[in-house]
Amino acid sequence: MAKLKISGVSKAYGATVALSRGDLELEAGEVHVLIGSNGSGKSTLCKIVAGSVKPDAGEVLLDGKPVTVSGPQAAKALGIGIFYQELSLAARRTVEENICLPDLPMRGPFVDRRALSEKAARYIALFDGVTGGGFAADATVDVLRADQRQLVEIMKALATEAPVLIFDEPTSALDRAQVDRFFEILRRLKAEGRAMVFISHRMDEIFAIGDSVTVLRDGRTVGTSRIADTTPAEVVRLMVGEEQAQAAPAAAAETVKTDGAGPVGLAVSALAGPGFAGVSFAVRQGEILGFGGLHGQGQSSVLRALFGALPLAAGAVTLKGGAYRPHSPRAAIRAGLAYVSGDRGRDGVIQGRPILENVTPIHFLRNRLTLARPGPLRDKATPAVEALHTRFAGFSHPIGSLSGGNQQKIVIARWLIDRPDVLLLDDPTKGIDLSAKADLFALVRKLAAEGMAIVLYSSEDAELLANSDRILVFNGGRVTRELAGADRTRFNLYEAAYEAA
Amino acid sequence: MVDAVAKAPRQAGGIRRFIERYPFVPALVIMLVLLALNGIWQPRSVSLVGITGLVKTYLALMLLAVAQTYVVYAGDIDLSAGAIVSLVNVVIVAFMAAMGGSAFSVIGAMAIGLGVGLACGIVNGIVVAAFRLQAIVATFATSIFFTGLALYVMPVAGTPAPATFWRTFGARYFEIPFVFYAAVLLAVILSLLARTRLSLQLLAVGDDAQGAYQSGLPVTAIRIRGYALCGLFAALAAFCVTGDTASGDPLVGGKMTLFSVAAVVLGGSALAGGYGTVVGSVFGALIIGLINSLVYFVGTPSEWQNLVQGLAILVALVAGILIGRRARA
Repeated sequence: MAKLKISGVSKAYGATVALSRGDLELEAGEVHVLIGSNGSGKSTLCKIVAGSVKPDAGEVLLDGKPVTVSGPQAAKALGIGIFYQELSLAARRTVEENICLPDLPMRGPFVDRRALSEKAARYIALFDGVTGGGFAADATVDVLRADQRQLVEIMKALATEAPVLIFDEPTSALDRAQVDRFFEILRRLKAEGRAMVFISHRMDEIFAIGDSVTVLRDGRTVGTSRIADTTPAEVVRLMVGEEQAQAAPAAAAETVKTDGAGPVGLAVSALAGPGFAGVSFAVRQGEILGFGGLHGQGQSSVLRALFGALPLAAGAVTLKGGAYRPHSPRAAIRAGLAYVSGDRGRDGVIQGRPILENVTPIHFLRNRLTLARPGPLRDKATPAVEALHTRFAGFSHPIGSLSGGNQQKIVIARWLIDRPDVLLLDDPTKGIDLSAKADLFALVRKLAAEGMAIVLYSSEDAELLANSDRILVFNGGRVTRELAGADRTRFNLYEAAYEAA
Repeated sequence: MVDAVAKAPRQAGGIRRFIERYPFVPALVIMLVLLALNGIWQPRSVSLVGITGLVKTYLALMLLAVAQTYVVYAGDIDLSAGAIVSLVNVVIVAFMAAMGGSAFSVIGAMAIGLGVGLACGIVNGIVVAAFRLQAIVATFATSIFFTGLALYVMPVAGTPAPATFWRTFGARYFEIPFVFYAAVLLAVILSLLARTRLSLQLLAVGDDAQGAYQSGLPVTAIRIRGYALCGLFAALAAFCVTGDTASGDPLVGGKMTLFSVAAVVLGGSALAGGYGTVVGSVFGALIIGLINSLVYFVGTPSEWQNLVQGLAILVALVAGILIGRRARA
């Protein structure tokens, strides 16, 4: 009998289906790997088991009995412990307090400090020798490095002593020695008969520690097999889906300009900054260069750094043949760069203001206007907004009255009044509907055809494959593979993204 | 090229670590400096009589600052703390007056006062944590509500408290003023409370509420308990106000609210939550008290006193930040 059996669970957030049919069977004494591309529903599945997300449908069986995990407290009571990818630590509390926080040892009405220290020390000792400098039981978490914080979160999950443990990307910041030690601990727990779910994007780790693997694709479980009976290529094929694995995208094939004749619009060499290093590439005018790979491998950071929104540590940038030093977004805009972020709320939309004010700020900045005259501005804004088939009632309506897709169109229209030379798209279609996406990419291809140099990062691989002329695959903050022409297949993209950095 | 941005991991230095662990140290330093300044301008102010007067006047603010600290721990705020003081003040004075002012009525009144404070705190907690209203606006609303109740209980100020009550507050036992026993008792209670699970949980919630929830902590219940504790300490503050003023006044506590918030911040706690100490807030309250007396002792003309007080509080705030930053650098 399976220790934990999840069958047919689903979860939708409004119109977005995060998980359409999740199935998972977890045995005691095994490490069960969960794998799938960005947005395939792994984290949602874990959060359902942990109780922090309520499923819309489906069943969770623990030891054969149906259970309702109504919240993290209920999960704790049922004996389910979880390592959260985004960590659940209190930054101002000490390492030992954080480890014991879910279940503080008490003596009468007071916290038993000695027992707390002893309990924490047991779990800290597991990682003795690999914790690195500055790590101490009484150090506050905010002084620790990212890998040390991740270790604390692991210790906290282990300290629950739960029979079912879920690790959602526990190794993303750890170094080799720390990962090895962690795997030793997992093997020991396996021998004790604990059931563990392990999520990782690293194929080598999966084959080093896993006993069985379940693959998710587009919100549903597509297959489960024993690790011993499968191969990395087989797993990638499952993640990609048979029909798409080898097919080069037809749509893109039409738009690809293989001649590469245009002059170079933007060239960077040996770029380094927060989260990336040694990035070099050149985009020709009229070309769409895709950034691919798993989420958060430095793609966004490169784009933000080029736009002057993140500091650069090293590297040289050439813009239309001249040297360019990105030190602020203001300077970047004046130099002819445009940046569109998928995080509209933070980087795009001016909340609570009319549509007209949301379309014209770049025009203001580039032309150093001081006086807002709605009439002429309206005339300038109209063609820009119409180019995107934006549906809206009037320029004076607040931006909040539009749907997400139309809001993003307004943000993009901002850059169309005075054409930039280089357009940086940072996951521009996050959370917008399909027809808006289609409009958006039609425009992007048109802009490229008119000679704009475009860099496109998208977390949706289909979009990337369909719209890029070349794709640079990012892995661990570096470009590890360049895919061009017929190599631009889903299989190659996944293989490059999932191999060890 | 551009400067390197990769920051080396911060090393836990000696003084920095000391301040990190004892965030009230800057407040303590400022308080001692102010005490010395008071002594220079008015030597009698640092005598036993002077200190007794200071503690007697500001014990209520110290308690209210402590009350505020527990909600600030969790990243909340209570703008009704002063209104709770007013309400408890008029309730106990009215009760003692009705019962004839016997020793028994004093005990009974205090029990009722604690109950009222606790009830007000729980109301605040439910409104903020369970109904998820903005703490700053929700407690502003309940402060008006509590003030309204206080005005209903006692429409005009002036009902005297029985002599047994305020004589005890001003009395001496074994040559030591009563307020010092109260201060010692407060210190003991605070040190015990600091060791409870609730203190740690409040700080964890204030640090990262989502993280605390995912760790399996009952976040809503913890925040409500924080407000309940705040209500209890506000009731204790009301006892001191009653002992000090010897009468009931339905508006007595109103102006104390923001002073209590100021004391918490002066004491080194973060208003965003997750970081701070109750001891610091006690020092913060004393800093405010010492500033007020210093402004008086240096002979500031009465029309300038408010302005100088305000400036002095700003200076103390800046000084606290500078001391803390110097130590961290």
